Amino acid sequence: MITFDHLSKEYNGVYAVNDLSLEIPGGEIFGLLGPNGAGKSTTILMLTGLIEPTAGRCLIDGIEVAKKPIEVKHRIGYMPEDVGFYTNLSASENLDFFARLYGLDASARRSRIDELLSLVNLDGVEKLVGGYSKGMRQRLGIAKALLNDPAVIILDEPTANLDPQGVADYRRIIKQMAADGKTVLVSSHILSEVSMVCTSIGVLSQGKLVAEGTWKDLTRVLQGEQVTILVETRDSMPEFSHPDLITAEYSNEQHEAVITARSDIRDDIADTLRETDVMIRQLTLDRSTLEQAILSYYNTGDEQP
Amino acid sequence: MKSNGLPVIARKELRDHFRSRKFLLIFGIFLIITIIGMVSGAAQYNKDLQSYNDRQSVADDDEYSMGFGWGKPSIMSIYLGVSGLIVTLGAILGIAMGFDLISKEKETKSLKILLSHPVYRDEVINGKALGGLMALAIALGITFIVTFAILLISGIVPEGDELSKILVYGGAAFLMILSYFALSLFMSTVANDSGKALVYTLVIFVALMSMPMLLNGPVMNMIIGEPPEYPEEAICSNTGYSSMKVEYSVSSGDGVFEEPKPDPVWEEYQKRSDEYWNKRQSVSDFITLISPTMNLQTISYKLLIPDYSRMMSMAFSSAEHDGSEMPETDVFADIFKNIIALFAFPALFLGLAYVRFMRMDIR
Repeated sequence: MITFDHLSKEYNGVYAVNDLSLEIPGGEIFGLLGPNGAGKSTTILMLTGLIEPTAGRCLIDGIEVAKKPIEVKHRIGYMPEDVGFYTNLSASENLDFFARLYGLDASARRSRIDELLSLVNLDGVEKLVGGYSKGMRQRLGIAKALLNDPAVIILDEPTANLDPQGVADYRRIIKQMAADGKTVLVSSHILSEVSMVCTSIGVLSQGKLVAEGTWKDLTRVLQGEQVTILVETRDSMPEFSHPDLITAEYSNEQHEAVITARSDIRDDIADTLRETDVMIRQLTLDRSTLEQAILSYYNTGDEQP
Repeated sequence: MKSNGLPVIARKELRDHFRSRKFLLIFGIFLIITIIGMVSGAAQYNKDLQSYNDRQSVADDDEYSMGFGWGKPSIMSIYLGVSGLIVTLGAILGIAMGFDLISKEKETKSLKILLSHPVYRDEVINGKALGGLMALAIALGITFIVTFAILLISGIVPEGDELSKILVYGGAAFLMILSYFALSLFMSTVANDSGKALVYTLVIFVALMSMPMLLNGPVMNMIIGEPPEYPEEAICSNTGYSSMKVEYSVSSGDGVFEEPKPDPVWEEYQKRSDEYWNKRQSVSDFITLISPTMNLQTISYKLLIPDYSRMMSMAFSSAEHDGSEMPETDVFADIFKNIIALFAFPALFLGLAYVRFMRMDIR
């Protein structure tokens, strides 16, 4: 579990993080959203003990980071945005060095390193890290973050340099970690990426937490109790009726529809289409309006509605 | 919960140094030139020894005991041949080992990763310093073992006193190289990138090398003033080394010459001159203490060719001596302050590097 308790960080009179209070329970994948300079990285640096807060505190599983940094660092796995390794060492040598810092013995190091390199598809790559692409370094960064089997995983812009296969692998790994009861904190400015993996999000703007909640809650709040559903079918679709339906606009000879509703009624729409033997091509929640709503927070620093 | 960061980091740093092409190249050149210098020095020593033995067979040794270069050749003179190389290449080796230790970690962003692991921040800087120190100790240890091997292969066996001087010289050389390693490590914590760290270190290195030479010229005169003017009214003079003595005698009426009396003008000049040159020597000695390279050079002269060193120091003194024998001094007591200065320099810069690193903003 991660706890931010009235956390603030000030640089030359300017607050990079301002009175942040938040609790992220175990087993959750939490997305920390915000534009560049919103305070995401500063928050993470305080959480990892790399910088000290001006006020407030961060706790990992109830242990205060500033007071017991070594104990906390044994419990976390961290991958920064600009992940850096020793370029004169191979991937396994890099991981071996970091594993020694965790006090793992030789056999535990060997088996853990082999397991993780295989997990991120870097097994068998013998060249020095100096010759790695950014994507390969990012994969190695994910492996390094998992080296000590941490209870809390902190990832700063984890998919920035990954190829599609890498992104798919990353999603799979992160979801598995959460399923194993680990807490995952993902910092990103890419809303679509966060929406794919995170169970809840917080929006930071100008150092303040301006919105926070589960993805479903936030969707409802930010879209004003409305969701937009995009439907595309191979055959002409029937007109829908549902107590929560507000509007439905059909186009392209009833092959496409944009539906606004008070709740996510995709399951009911799918049932209706199945009953009428209409083949579904697309049935998605339109996140563009949600993205616009979140973006509207980015430079305002307004409080949550 | 305990951290084992220090030994892990120190071991990695040690291994990194010995895997670094930069380190291996400079150390390789250092070792090869030392071997060449030692081999030629040993050959020259054997030649000088043969020449000395030949002279001994035709003349009394006392006849040749006066002055530098006429006595029995010393094994220490072999090391003198490589001392200049050790000063220059050793300093370069120290700088090359330290200038990017922290700045490179900042550039490659590995410092942030490293500090997110269960290590205290001081373990990182101490581990890097310890790793470098061990690498230097091993490198110099290898060098001195090789030099001993060359001596033994050449049939030269140092005696106890010579051995202790060689060991002290080796220790001083280690401290000199460590001084530049500490300086460059500090610059590595100050500069934003390795290029700037190297430039800053080289600027200070050149300044420390050239400062004593610069300050011994007109700059020294500006600091302590011009030397006293030679008294034109002095009656006569005789010279010995750099000292000068003027006396006059008076003829009495009965034709008996009185004992010569010192000229008061000359005496006054001599007193002021002694004071001036002593003061100048003190300032010069102090400046030498600031520079690790000058310190090592001073130590090497005093250890390796003590006769020459004593002769040079007497040249600056007006103290009388009969020219037949130079006074014996305790060499180790003589170099004590230089040794202390060689300990102080790396301690100061390692301390500064520590403080700077502990306050560094990791973002």
